Amino acid sequence: MSTGRDARGHTERCDLMKRIREFIYNADINRFRFYFQILAFGLLVYGGYLAIDLGNELPTFACPKIKSRGGICYLYPLQGNLSLIDEFLGERGIRFLTKLVTFILLFILFNKAWCGFACPLGTVQDWITKLRSKLGTRYSTYSEGAFKRLKKIKYILLVLLILLPIGVSNAIPDIVRLPRDFSTPFCDICPGRIVLPIFDGDITQLVVDFRSTTKLTLTALGMAITGVFFVGAFVKKRFFCLFCPMSALHYIFSKIGILRLVKDGSKCTKCGNCYRVCDVGIREIADDVVSKNIVQDDCMMCFKCVAACPEEKCLDVKFLGLPVYRSTEDGFFKRGGKV
Amino acid sequence: MEIERTERIKKTTAIHLAMEAKETLKKITEDFPDNPDAMGYFYSAFNKLYTEGDLLDNSAKIIGTTCLQVPEELIYAVGAVPLRLCSGAHAYDQIGSEFMPAKSCSLVNATLGMLHINHVPYKDSLKAVVIPTTCDQKKKAGDMLESMGFNIYSLEMPSRKDTEESRIYWQRSLISFAKSLEDVTGRRITKGSLMDAIMKTNKARAEFRRLYNLRKAMPPVIYGKDAFIVANAYFFDDIHTWTGAITRLNNELEEKAKKGYCVVNKHAPRILFTGSPAIFPNLKLPILIEQTGGVIVADEVCSSTNLLYDAVTFDEANLYDMIPAVADRYLKPCICPCFVKNEDRKRKLLEMVKGFNVDGVVYQAFSGCHLYEMEHKGIGKALEAEGIPMLYIETDYSPEDTGQLSTRIEAFMESIKARKRRS
Repeated sequence: MSTGRDARGHTERCDLMKRIREFIYNADINRFRFYFQILAFGLLVYGGYLAIDLGNELPTFACPKIKSRGGICYLYPLQGNLSLIDEFLGERGIRFLTKLVTFILLFILFNKAWCGFACPLGTVQDWITKLRSKLGTRYSTYSEGAFKRLKKIKYILLVLLILLPIGVSNAIPDIVRLPRDFSTPFCDICPGRIVLPIFDGDITQLVVDFRSTTKLTLTALGMAITGVFFVGAFVKKRFFCLFCPMSALHYIFSKIGILRLVKDGSKCTKCGNCYRVCDVGIREIADDVVSKNIVQDDCMMCFKCVAACPEEKCLDVKFLGLPVYRSTEDGFFKRGGKV
Repeated sequence: MEIERTERIKKTTAIHLAMEAKETLKKITEDFPDNPDAMGYFYSAFNKLYTEGDLLDNSAKIIGTTCLQVPEELIYAVGAVPLRLCSGAHAYDQIGSEFMPAKSCSLVNATLGMLHINHVPYKDSLKAVVIPTTCDQKKKAGDMLESMGFNIYSLEMPSRKDTEESRIYWQRSLISFAKSLEDVTGRRITKGSLMDAIMKTNKARAEFRRLYNLRKAMPPVIYGKDAFIVANAYFFDDIHTWTGAITRLNNELEEKAKKGYCVVNKHAPRILFTGSPAIFPNLKLPILIEQTGGVIVADEVCSSTNLLYDAVTFDEANLYDMIPAVADRYLKPCICPCFVKNEDRKRKLLEMVKGFNVDGVVYQAFSGCHLYEMEHKGIGKALEAEGIPMLYIETDYSPEDTGQLSTRIEAFMESIKARKRRS
């Protein structure tokens, strides 16, 4: 009697799980992402008003210059710490390491989904893209060669944002010490510093700093990059992300991320739907039928590719090995081909 | 004299065609017990088309197509209707062979022959015939058809599909094609009309996939000959009517599968059919396979799975994104042997072998179809490595080799059955 009831309870539970899974796999991930991004944007840009502080090691652009911020981008303390590298033998060194470890732990939790779901600067670009699409203006894409050349820039920026602050504090003789103003060089040229505070009604970042030649050069560059950012984001989806040094830093740790995008190449027909909808133009997602972990350095884990894939279980989003979103035939045709 | 001769040929061809069609339909319906009720619609559709003629609404502007790379979405978006002209009739094959070299593909011969004697259903509404630059025979047949007075559009296709250059070339080619369609029909493609076209074709393909998946059932719930007939009807049928009819069939099969119904027992060899297409009334090979106790559970041919499996995805509901999206659908997943590199066909076949629990593969190549003939060795090797036997058959539309074929197929089925018993 009781085992019968247990068995029935078990099948009911299984049935419920199946229905929940079906509901999630059939979902419109892009719409979910749209609302999630608004939430994350609110948290990171206005979180301060609710006394929220997510820490100073966030693996996403949360700018310290926003007064109402809910957390700080790791690149800021990273550069700051490195500019004091001569004092690393002591408490400062330990502080640097704890910050780095915190960053890595936060990052591997959601992997590159930080870019697709949380980054406020990414969200602003997605809004600009929406506006362009509404206006019926065509997007542009890079040629294959240009894409391969341009994507290296982010690694150069990453190396510079590490080397320049170290140069500020270097103790080796005969090498010129850089001025103190080079301690956060990337922040000075980052469009996030200028754009994001505007959402809090703060336009004080929208200036060129004349206090020193270094500041003058960097902030002027920052203003120019911000101009390019708006124009670029209007004609090209996720224009800035291709050059983002945070994205480069992410990729170093991406392989140990516990949120994964996995591909079963044997199920792939190379129909290219995933590549077609990819905002950052990753060809490997369609053409690579060998790799299992398919996340590339430019991937922002928005999972539009998963929604666009018409093959059952070909693309799988896994968290700690458990599927959280998956390509299914049913889901694909329910969405009707629109991603 | 000449006119008289043509009239006579037309008359006798019509008689031969009707006989051919009736004979095939008779085999399909009477040689097999309890056909699904929902198949009735498809049987009668073929009966009507081949013995009575018209089926479609004559007022619609029709764009004839000869290969599966012609994007239907664009044709629907200008308010016209696509009609796949590829013919499977031996009667037409004989007429067409007059124009072609001695060893030419029956399919090209037959299509040419049908058009030559103007046996096109809805001839008056046929505004243009679109011939993609796939194989040499089709390309050159286009020239001949042009001289016969048809409005031919040669749709430029790249020879490779794996490079970014080919993809862009094809997208541009389709933009020119879209403009020509607009000129021919006098209607413009709009955001709304293309979106509707994508939605309705995707819906038809979703139902086709349901049937595709139902064929995975063990033991099988439908014969391959019926699946071929369903897909063949898509060539000429109104898309809404067709989608409705296949939905009814799927619902019926789903119900039957739940009740444990099957068309043959679980020991019947499960066959994957690949190669040159099986187009009504030339279904002699599929029928022979199923008459000798096998069942075609899956197919990889351009008249069925390859025609209807893939669907369009787009990101932004604007023409600048939707037209390239349609282009991608017809190039990237296409496994037509006309492409230079075709590893994807091998991978697809191997995946089907697994997914459908296939026991053996039958490879049909029309003699004269060099592309399929040339790919068979590579495919055979790939299958052999997985322990799957393949029977390669070179044939054409004539019924003369039926006796010899049935002996070979019987032997193949027996060897599969023996293997199954051993394991």
